[in-house]
Amino acid sequence: MEKLLLQGNEAIALGAVKAGLSFYASYPITPASEILHYLVKTNVKVVQMEDEIASINAVIGASLAGAKSMTATSGPGFSLKQEGIGLAHMIEAPLVVVDVQRVGPSTGMPTLPAQGDILQCKYGSHGDYFPIVFYPNSVSELYRYSMEAFNAAEDSLSPVILLSDGYISHLTETMVPAEIPIKPRTLPPLGALGTRHYTGLTHKGAFPKATDAEAHQEHMAHLQKKQLEVAKNYLFYEYLENKNSDTLLISFGAMSRLAYAFKDQYSLFRPIRIFPMIEELTEIAQRYRKILVLEMNAGQYLSEVERLLQRRVKLVSVLGGKINLNQVAREVQWAIETI
Amino acid sequence: MGYRDYIREERFPTSWCGGCGIGIVLKAVCQTFEEQGFTYENTTVVSGIGCSARSAGYFKLDTVHSIHGRAIPVAEGIKMANEKMNVFVFSGDGDLLGIGGNHLLHACRRNTDINIICIDNEIYGMTGGQKSPTTELHIKTLTSPKGNEDRPINVQAIIRAHDDFYARTTVYHYNHLKKCLKEAIEWKGLSFLDIKAPCISNNGRRLGFKNGYEMLIHYKDEYKIRTSDNGHLLAEKELGIVK
Repeated sequence: MEKLLLQGNEAIALGAVKAGLSFYASYPITPASEILHYLVKTNVKVVQMEDEIASINAVIGASLAGAKSMTATSGPGFSLKQEGIGLAHMIEAPLVVVDVQRVGPSTGMPTLPAQGDILQCKYGSHGDYFPIVFYPNSVSELYRYSMEAFNAAEDSLSPVILLSDGYISHLTETMVPAEIPIKPRTLPPLGALGTRHYTGLTHKGAFPKATDAEAHQEHMAHLQKKQLEVAKNYLFYEYLENKNSDTLLISFGAMSRLAYAFKDQYSLFRPIRIFPMIEELTEIAQRYRKILVLEMNAGQYLSEVERLLQRRVKLVSVLGGKINLNQVAREVQWAIETI
Repeated sequence: MGYRDYIREERFPTSWCGGCGIGIVLKAVCQTFEEQGFTYENTTVVSGIGCSARSAGYFKLDTVHSIHGRAIPVAEGIKMANEKMNVFVFSGDGDLLGIGGNHLLHACRRNTDINIICIDNEIYGMTGGQKSPTTELHIKTLTSPKGNEDRPINVQAIIRAHDDFYARTTVYHYNHLKKCLKEAIEWKGLSFLDIKAPCISNNGRRLGFKNGYEMLIHYKDEYKIRTSDNGHLLAEKELGIVK
């Protein structure tokens, strides 16, 4: 198999093209712009919209019209897209949103990596929804999970989030392109039936049910069941067991690359599908007396891990985009000693 | 195929108040669809949020009722993904010119081939009667109790600044409304129809109108159709097509 030398963002774009991307709308933003730069040179229909909100909504329209569609952004743009993401969940529009994380909140540190959008993926839009989120940690994986994101979007008829960060997306590595089966379009495009009314209102079929509690409960149950069912087919995680250790380090994305340095001392767990949470972690966690989450935020995934495991977990937090192995090693040591 | 075949009558009665002008536009649009020979296979309606935006759900087509202000980018996405679709945006003045104003600016610039039907009642009707971007000066609304201090938006200038199709009409001037619709559809590129329509419940009644009919007649007295389409910008209270 031929090896390629690619930047992370280029790998996302290439994977998307491989998965059948035919419409891409986005707005320039560091550190995600290279996806746009790459795609304008392909046969994909690409539009640079006036803002992030227009981008997500154009992608929704294109998706309903039958095109496999994607948008990409970073934290500030991801915030702006949230209402559109909620709409896509409500009307069950398959699409992919890439979020290359940078330091926030607000403008923060545009060129430096962070993992501050973890909870925004799950709770950023108002109301309840059950997103499928992938967070790879290498250029090869960005390529592969870009394709998986499209497949999961088709299977679930929902907006699937592909998370990256300024570190991985701007990394240039050799990669061997993964080969996976590509799911075809299943949702008939606009104009195929003439009987559908896509609405962000609570609805039952083509009928809005804006004051009907039962209809709302039914729709929510349907969305939740569907998302969890589909997620089962995308059970992606990495577990490096160290039988000599009673400590499990949980990390993802950029931080998980650093965590490999500790594999001789501790066991490592890396969710690639970060949401819905990997249920297997519950069983794995029982083997460990101490559990740490290493993440580049103030403890976002930690709260979700604690909720899943129903136990206290320690945080090692890296803020400000500067990753220092020695410092993290000291903090891991300190965290373990204080459990 | 009759014009009523474009309507989902099983959804009647509509959510609109007695005396509302939206239903008149709905009928004119359906009749135009029939005249143009449009079918569900090549036609879609996209809307944002508001009373006017509820229209999308009454069309017997595959339709999209999107979120507040975003009907235009959704419609552009559809058109760009499938050029064969006749794409109509059906929304109100608050949705298209307030929260969605930036998208209108850029859709004009891109000249996407979509037809925007703006039902302009000069008020945020669904939320109770707050001033909108097209509310005229000195008009009292829930949010301008001493009279509106902001000038109404000059949407004609925005559309014409990019040489796109602009027409102004009212629901009283039904034949003119249909002429505008027909020419908008035939226009290659972006077209914007500014259709003045009464909201008796949350605007007119506070202005002293007794019912929707009185508001309609008021349109007859207040607005005049320009006799020659000379391509110049429409004057205030003038109805016509500028292209």
